[in-house]
Amino acid sequence: MKLILPPGLSERALNRALDAFASVTGREWVLRSDEDRDTYLDVYAPGNEASHAPAAAVAPASTEEVQAILRLTNEHRIPLWPISRGKNYGYGGAAPRMPGCVVLDLSRMKRILEVNERHGYCVVEPGVGFYDLHEYVQSRKLPLWLSIPGNGWGSVVGNALERGFSSQPYGDHAAQICGMEVALPSGKLVRTGMGAMTNGVSGPLFRHGFGPSWDQMFVQSNYGVVTKMGLWLMPAPEATLSMSMKLPQPEDLGWLVDVVTPLRIRGIVNHNVSVQAYMGSATMSSQRSDWYQGEDHIPDSVVRGIMARHNVGWWNFTIRLYGDPEVNEANARVIQKAFAARTDLPFTITRWTRSDATGNAGAPSPSVFPLQIVNWHGGRGGHIGFSPVLPPDGKLVVEQLQRTRQRFREAGIDYSGTFYISGRHVINVNLMLYNRDNAAMTQRVRALFATLVKESAAAGYAEYRTHLSYMDEVAATFDFNDHALRQLNETVKDALDPNGILAPGRNGIWPARYRSQRNSA
Amino acid sequence: MMRRRVTGATRMPIFAVALLAFSLGADAADTSPSPAGQALFRRHCGPCHLQGGTGTFMLGRRLGEQNALLESRTNLDDAYVRAVVRGGIQSMPRLSRAELPDADLARIAQYLAAPQH
Repeated sequence: MKLILPPGLSERALNRALDAFASVTGREWVLRSDEDRDTYLDVYAPGNEASHAPAAAVAPASTEEVQAILRLTNEHRIPLWPISRGKNYGYGGAAPRMPGCVVLDLSRMKRILEVNERHGYCVVEPGVGFYDLHEYVQSRKLPLWLSIPGNGWGSVVGNALERGFSSQPYGDHAAQICGMEVALPSGKLVRTGMGAMTNGVSGPLFRHGFGPSWDQMFVQSNYGVVTKMGLWLMPAPEATLSMSMKLPQPEDLGWLVDVVTPLRIRGIVNHNVSVQAYMGSATMSSQRSDWYQGEDHIPDSVVRGIMARHNVGWWNFTIRLYGDPEVNEANARVIQKAFAARTDLPFTITRWTRSDATGNAGAPSPSVFPLQIVNWHGGRGGHIGFSPVLPPDGKLVVEQLQRTRQRFREAGIDYSGTFYISGRHVINVNLMLYNRDNAAMTQRVRALFATLVKESAAAGYAEYRTHLSYMDEVAATFDFNDHALRQLNETVKDALDPNGILAPGRNGIWPARYRSQRNSA
Repeated sequence: MMRRRVTGATRMPIFAVALLAFSLGADAADTSPSPAGQALFRRHCGPCHLQGGTGTFMLGRRLGEQNALLESRTNLDDAYVRAVVRGGIQSMPRLSRAELPDADLARIAQYLAAPQH
């Protein structure tokens, strides 16, 4: 990728800054060639990669180097884009929102500082991946189960900062954060919560500290560079009991939401329930051309073929109970009774206890196999997800499903939806798969995405997370009182980062210096 | 001993293979003709490119089963491996020099390009 400069900056100024960074990290860790830039592009971009191309990258090895780089950045006024490991696929990967930023690559900072078996937490640096932490826990036979998202290649810290999740009791990753160390844009280092004491020992144990709680301020924001994070980990359960069911019709989702929601709120079910459409199994193990050659949406007759071949329902879900076997059995009876009021369909039940050497434990291990989905069309595959947050009301959820499916059909994009029933909300991830070599298809995806943002906002729904290219559009849907939330976000941004050096445009938050770039491509 | 364990991986469920790959990477240093290269390959590339991995699956679709498993291929040269890792191919993400330094990539490329590995 040829060099793309940040707005208003010369190549000479950039090179001076990069030379200064090299004095901190060593030249080896300032990545500035065309090939280096390529490695930070969004490999699954729904459009031109250049829209989010970085100018270079710098990879510090320590908190002290991060601080030094931030101080130099203020001096040279170079915009930085921090990444943990850069595996945020479907949302932009390692690429910056604003082209020309220098990626602050924290992947070399991969120390596991503490894993506390007794109290169930870890303290890690941003370069620690799920594979690293899993290996650490497994090799020491620690009785802890990690919560791992679909793409296990990424960073533990980075995923929590993006509000990633899994369907485990500790699956809301941002909610497990307990204490951070953060380098502010000035380079000043702060610790949050009880960790703000010089000799504090309760940082990873008590979320709130004394006075305001700042942890969540650094989630999906551009207010600082998180250099350490405390995260709670789930104790390994004594046993699991898994209850799976296949539902034959798309409208079955409505009653399912209404049955599961009170069970989830009451704590009978203690994880979000992932309800996945038939496409999930097809995209993981086959390609579209195996099923259908047409350019339009896969017809219902083919859908029935996929369901029959893969032995799946239109919807598929598993409720997993974790804990003492007696409690699991009792909760299973409560769940079965609640379902019996709505359906005669059977559960497939599997059990595991610690004494079993094998079996379906639900014990998590990292995997990248879900990336298989990008091969659905062949060619250079890509994916993005439109993921609105809905109220847990069956009627409203089905209405949203029908609206969304209709738009997918009109766009000629195969519908691939998952609903995560989470108690007081439902997150609906609508996956759009495309061949990046097919410009017309990619354009249809972009138009579909923009339509869904607009129509969902009209219904009162917004996304919980989005791709770089839609951050401004989604942020604009939070428009109460003349976008008062955006004004608050940017007031804080300008106070903490007066030179606008850190992640301009992240989640629609623009510093004054680059505010004119809002809504740029 | 290492070879036996890798062979065993082919009988494991898909979801377990990536984990195994990672674990093997940590202790593979002294049993192979190109120990550093093998260990690095399994650590950085193994999650996708061992038996059951998504990269293996995709290569099988595109180039045939005989070219699916990178460690079994004899038609790779090190310049090609380096170019693919840095430049990506099809849906494969690129790896930066921060994640995989040039010296480590060179060892992986040499390992995959060796006539026997």
